Amino acid sequence: MKHLKDEMILKAEDLYFSYDDDHNHSLNGLSLEIKKGRKIAVMGANGSGKSTFFLCCTGILRPQKGRLYFQGEEYRYDKKSLLKLRSRVGIVFQDPDNQLFCASVYQEISFGILNLGVSPEKAREEVERIIDVLEITPFRHKPAHALSGGQKKQVSIADILVMHPDIIILDEPAAALDPKHTRMVNHIVEQMTEAGITVLMSTHDVNYAYEWADEVILFQEGRVLLQASPMEVFSNEEALKATNLEAPAVLSLFETLCRKGILSPSLKTPRNLAALERYLEETK
Amino acid sequence: MIAIDKLCYNSRLRYENAGEKSAFAVITLCICVMSRSIAVAGVVLAVTGILTVKKGGVPVFRYLKFLTIPLAFLLLSTLAILFHIKREPLDLFAIPLGGWYLTAGTDSFFYAVQLVFTALAAVSCLYFLSFTTPMPDILEVLKKLHCPALLMELMLLIYRFIFILLDTADAISTSQSCRLGNRNYRTALKSFGLLGSALMIRAVQRSGRLYDAMEARCYDGRIQVLSESRPPRKKVIAWIILFDGALLIFAIWRRFFS
Repeated sequence: MKHLKDEMILKAEDLYFSYDDDHNHSLNGLSLEIKKGRKIAVMGANGSGKSTFFLCCTGILRPQKGRLYFQGEEYRYDKKSLLKLRSRVGIVFQDPDNQLFCASVYQEISFGILNLGVSPEKAREEVERIIDVLEITPFRHKPAHALSGGQKKQVSIADILVMHPDIIILDEPAAALDPKHTRMVNHIVEQMTEAGITVLMSTHDVNYAYEWADEVILFQEGRVLLQASPMEVFSNEEALKATNLEAPAVLSLFETLCRKGILSPSLKTPRNLAALERYLEETK
Repeated sequence: MIAIDKLCYNSRLRYENAGEKSAFAVITLCICVMSRSIAVAGVVLAVTGILTVKKGGVPVFRYLKFLTIPLAFLLLSTLAILFHIKREPLDLFAIPLGGWYLTAGTDSFFYAVQLVFTALAAVSCLYFLSFTTPMPDILEVLKKLHCPALLMELMLLIYRFIFILLDTADAISTSQSCRLGNRNYRTALKSFGLLGSALMIRAVQRSGRLYDAMEARCYDGRIQVLSESRPPRKKVIAWIILFDGALLIFAIWRRFFS
């Protein structure tokens, strides 16, 4: 039991939040638990409370009712506790233009880590390292307003990664990115997981969520409709219908192929197109 | 302004130490203004021009075009110095107007010319700085000069957000044009008003979001960032001292001994 408790990194209990006092609740009795080191996809229609929940996680918004816990400790809203919390919980906002406030990439990345009270020498080292790891070097001397959307996204992720949080929240990181930058962001996310960081990502891409996530959380009208493995969530037609989602292409195709007798249902359900292709190659 | 911003990021002198560039620009500017001499102004104009264009890589034509912007103001304001309305004609020329003369003297003519040259040279000093030094670097210099933190933070934020505001305004204006918002004078006027109010609302929303994002990164009321300054080079400093020293001696000689 103690072991389980150690693993839990974030826990929400019956959260209620409303932007306009009691009329429309953006969070409506939301409860969930997130385990350490997991890759979690948060899905749900626009306005289902994903972004509001994320802002609650970093203590920017304070739920009117309910409790939040970080590593077993309840959230406190005094300045010191908030600073401590925010040094552990990082959030990458959806629109980089709302996050980047410096004209210089280098200054921008250095902001967060300096706020942690790190010495300038150490901060410089960290900033250089993250610029290297996230492949920012080619445009590090460009002003922020001359960067492309994808480059801004890279910088906004670097902003947070440089602070070495335990958990990173990505609010639709692939929104408005071209395929190349989407791949790049996905690659960065892989690296985060390998470094042991818990990743919480909201996305509308069912195929990506199905392939990438350890766990999928479906939000509906400020509540958690379902929290389970991708396999379970995406084969639950009712839940998908309720949240306006579709089953991942690979899963649908695999089911059809099984039904037609081309593939055996005893095979392990493929997570991506490559795995399904391999099955098909092997059949003949 | 946007054009200058683009130019300075592409300047070949961009990575020189910003302190050196600022010192050169400001000291030269002071000597030039205090000398009140056409010769000194000419030297300054030539040197900063050569530095900006040749060393910095700003196209000559664009540089000259930028110099003509203050020229228009200058010429207009010197007209007032040049022309007098008097009862007696002065030595340069006089146009009789009833019992009065619209007239100009050689002294005031030379004074006006000197003024135009000095002002133009002063502008060229500032152009040198702004065509070679991006805004964040200039802020670094101000920080070293112990400019108040609040002012610095404001400049940092304003500089970044000018571009976002312009982008937003551009997008709204395009979408208005697409829906015939500028069909005639009336609709154009109305569209412009709507643009203004939309911008205001967006700006307020954006500032709220930005504040949230900064808070999420442990913002504690002070914006601290690291700078990437390049160390000053002795050779460059020596050149600046040499040039400005010579210019100062030249200016004093022109002023008092010639």
